[in-house]
Amino acid sequence: MTANIFTMPDVPATLQSSGSVATNRPAEKVSPQETELIRRILAGEKELYYELIAPYERPVYLSAFAILRNEADAEDCAQDAFLKAFRYLGDFRGESKFGSWLVRIVLNEAKMKLRKLRPALYESLDEPAGSQDESEYIPQTLGDWREIPSETLERKEVREVLVEAVQKLSVIYREVFVLRDIQGMDVATTAQTLKVSEAVVKTRLLRARLQMRDLVAPRINGSNVLSRQPFKKGKNPWR
Amino acid sequence: MAMNCRDLWREVSNYIDDTISAEARAEMELHLSQCRHCTALIDGVHNVIVLVADGRTFALPTGFSSRLKERLKREL
Repeated sequence: MTANIFTMPDVPATLQSSGSVATNRPAEKVSPQETELIRRILAGEKELYYELIAPYERPVYLSAFAILRNEADAEDCAQDAFLKAFRYLGDFRGESKFGSWLVRIVLNEAKMKLRKLRPALYESLDEPAGSQDESEYIPQTLGDWREIPSETLERKEVREVLVEAVQKLSVIYREVFVLRDIQGMDVATTAQTLKVSEAVVKTRLLRARLQMRDLVAPRINGSNVLSRQPFKKGKNPWR
Repeated sequence: MAMNCRDLWREVSNYIDDTISAEARAEMELHLSQCRHCTALIDGVHNVIVLVADGRTFALPTGFSSRLKERLKREL
């Protein structure tokens, strides 16, 4: 697991977990390479810092985007978070995965930035866990969606529909959906990163997924019908 | 008692993430074999998850890494 950390920049090694949902596999929180890089950076080799954070560019950016919903703000926020993480690198104790630590920093930065940038549009970021989760979501009755997802993505407007749909989710659902389904973080790590229970993550994730389907399916369904792609056990994107 | 639509909706995530028992899965599949609405729901949620998990959907903005490196160089 640790050997490829710097060769797969799009998928952070600490988030890969063999691409699977939560398992009981013993987790190595900080890889030996990261530990060594951190030691050398703290000893003064700050030019190595980019090498340490490169695998986490996408999750950090997407986490900022999950809160701010705007590319430019998310990029500024991600940069600020990386600089902040550098300043506090000496405080990182390896008690969580390095990627989770970075994501926690950027989520805090993004929430502070949102309060500052858009107080009028400020969403209730500190809503107590469970306040919206308990009411049951009733999915819309929609027709079959038979298009093959990989073919669907060839169309640029489909990507736009997906981005817009994520932007429409309430923040408590958006952050869980972005960490779990877009970044592929497992449930336990998502819970640890957001400082909520796994049960809350699961409840919010279900709501987010059902809402996303209701927002997306009516807008992209029905074109380029190629073949039936029934869901089969073991065919989800993390396996 | 047979599973109804509402019962199934609560288990959509667990079904897709494969975190339900074999018996629960069998009950869901029995319901799905008879309910077009729930089948469309499961397929739709699954398709959304596949689409958003694809790196092309939520990619880094072009030039993100270069701009980050420049800022680190300036400010570290």
